[in-house]
Amino acid sequence: MNWIKKRPYLLFLTPGIILYSIFVIYPIFAAANISLYKWNGIGKRVFVGINNYIELFTNQDLFNQMTNALKNSFLIFALTVIFVIPIQIIMAYIIYSKARGKSFFQAAIFSPQFIATPIIVFIFTLIFDGNIGLFNKLLEVAGFGHLAKPWLGIPKMGIYIVWGMISWAGVGVGMIYFLGAMKMIAFEEMESAYLEGAGFWKRLFYIVLPNIKMTALNLVLISYIIGMTIFDYSYILGGISGGIKGSVDVMSLFFYRMAFGDSNPLGGVISDNSIGMGTTIACVLFFMVFIVSMVQILIVYRKEEE
Amino acid sequence: MNKHQGKAAGFIKAFLWIYCSFIVFILGYITYNSLRPKSQILSNTFGKPTGLSFDNYKKLIIDDKFFRYFGNSAIILIASLVLLILLSSLTAYGIARYKFKMKKFVRIFFLIGLMFPVQLGIVPIFLIMSKLGLINNMASVILISGTNVSMPVFMLSNFFAGLPKEMQEAAQIDGAGEWTIFQKIMMPLAKPVVMAVCITVSVQIWNQFFIPLIFIQSDKLKTIPLLVTKYTNNLMSSINLALAISVLSTIPILIIFIFFSNKIIDGVMAGAVKG
Repeated sequence: MNWIKKRPYLLFLTPGIILYSIFVIYPIFAAANISLYKWNGIGKRVFVGINNYIELFTNQDLFNQMTNALKNSFLIFALTVIFVIPIQIIMAYIIYSKARGKSFFQAAIFSPQFIATPIIVFIFTLIFDGNIGLFNKLLEVAGFGHLAKPWLGIPKMGIYIVWGMISWAGVGVGMIYFLGAMKMIAFEEMESAYLEGAGFWKRLFYIVLPNIKMTALNLVLISYIIGMTIFDYSYILGGISGGIKGSVDVMSLFFYRMAFGDSNPLGGVISDNSIGMGTTIACVLFFMVFIVSMVQILIVYRKEEE
Repeated sequence: MNKHQGKAAGFIKAFLWIYCSFIVFILGYITYNSLRPKSQILSNTFGKPTGLSFDNYKKLIIDDKFFRYFGNSAIILIASLVLLILLSSLTAYGIARYKFKMKKFVRIFFLIGLMFPVQLGIVPIFLIMSKLGLINNMASVILISGTNVSMPVFMLSNFFAGLPKEMQEAAQIDGAGEWTIFQKIMMPLAKPVVMAVCITVSVQIWNQFFIPLIFIQSDKLKTIPLLVTKYTNNLMSSINLALAISVLSTIPILIIFIFFSNKIIDGVMAGAVKG
């Protein structure tokens, strides 16, 4: 008892460390271990070393599925960085500059965050559906009726629609992050720039942007992780196969399909190695997130030290 | 400082008005359509409203037992929150208020989870849960959501670390034990941070899709997002119910949000500035 009394922090730390280790940390390592076996989760486990990885990269069909999913994941990431982050900055700046209706903007832009993903997909269906969609109706009213299309049914558009849903739902959160960073800027700094004649946009470029660059970097990293791990939208929109010809397939869905997909179209090799190959894909995904996450941990940690 | 922003700013503001109004419009549009019979929605989408009624809601609530799913979502949310706040406040307090050898390591250890979404380790978690006999049991979802403590630990330990040392010492001199100090003095002070954590995490837990999809199979235990997909998977036969459930599970939350929007947004901001 004395030993514990001298270390009271252990009483506080132990429950957290135990449960967090079991359900968050251990699974990461366990997945790496399982990926070295040929296993379907029920039968016998056969140690195969790095054979799963070799198969993933050499089996033409698996490799194609992976590169396609990766391409889509990267596309979501790239589109987010190129379009969504600048939009978030501008929205935040408009609200920060106390535009009329700022509370309304803030609440409305943020509100999709509270809507569950299946409902967001459904809302997009109501807007972009070929028959009952608002968008086609709008085109028709505006005299562009000949452009009307069943937007959600075009495989080429699929991943852009997924990106649109992610952005619509998530744009508010990043905007609030930027707004928070902008509110940390010293008032004097903005005021003196104003008095020196720096216009609205000049102040954004020369004062606001340098002050929010850490937030921007952080959001770039978060967008990367989201792009790599996003699952719900593609699954709901395209089902387990990730849409027609994998048009909305992403890495997490590819993983899910291999590990848990019972209606596996590949059959044979994969289905009696579902868990082995599933965790192999999870580990590849894990590795891709890991590299970027390390950067983020370092940034957060350095900020802590300051 | 607000004037002379130029044409571009005016244009963006106009666009924001349109965009935000459209969000409000689409929510109204869903609510309006949820009152129409299925045949009207599908074949006469933009026609004159006829036969508005609460039939869709009646069907959803009585025939399809909406409140059972609502109850499941609520149980998962509340139990996860209790577990999460309990674990994270204890851990954060231990990290922030005591000096010990491995402190730096423990901090980073708890940050790791921040970087790794739960998908990555889901297969081993699935195996653990099946060993514990928790597949198709709400407890598995609760355990996963309630132990994902990285973010709360991070926010709370920053808060606890910022409190003056003298508070702890004064209480110790008065004879208060470690536990009493934590429970009676520190936790009440942390209320605003706990609230901010609860708000951000609640949304995620309430709307989560992936975890319940994997761990819950029986209809009796399913949550609202899973029920939604049951309707949206086959819109031709159940678009009316999809509309009704969208309204019923979204609009009340949005109304709460609008009432507390400043507080909620401040909470999100607080978490962000620190992160």
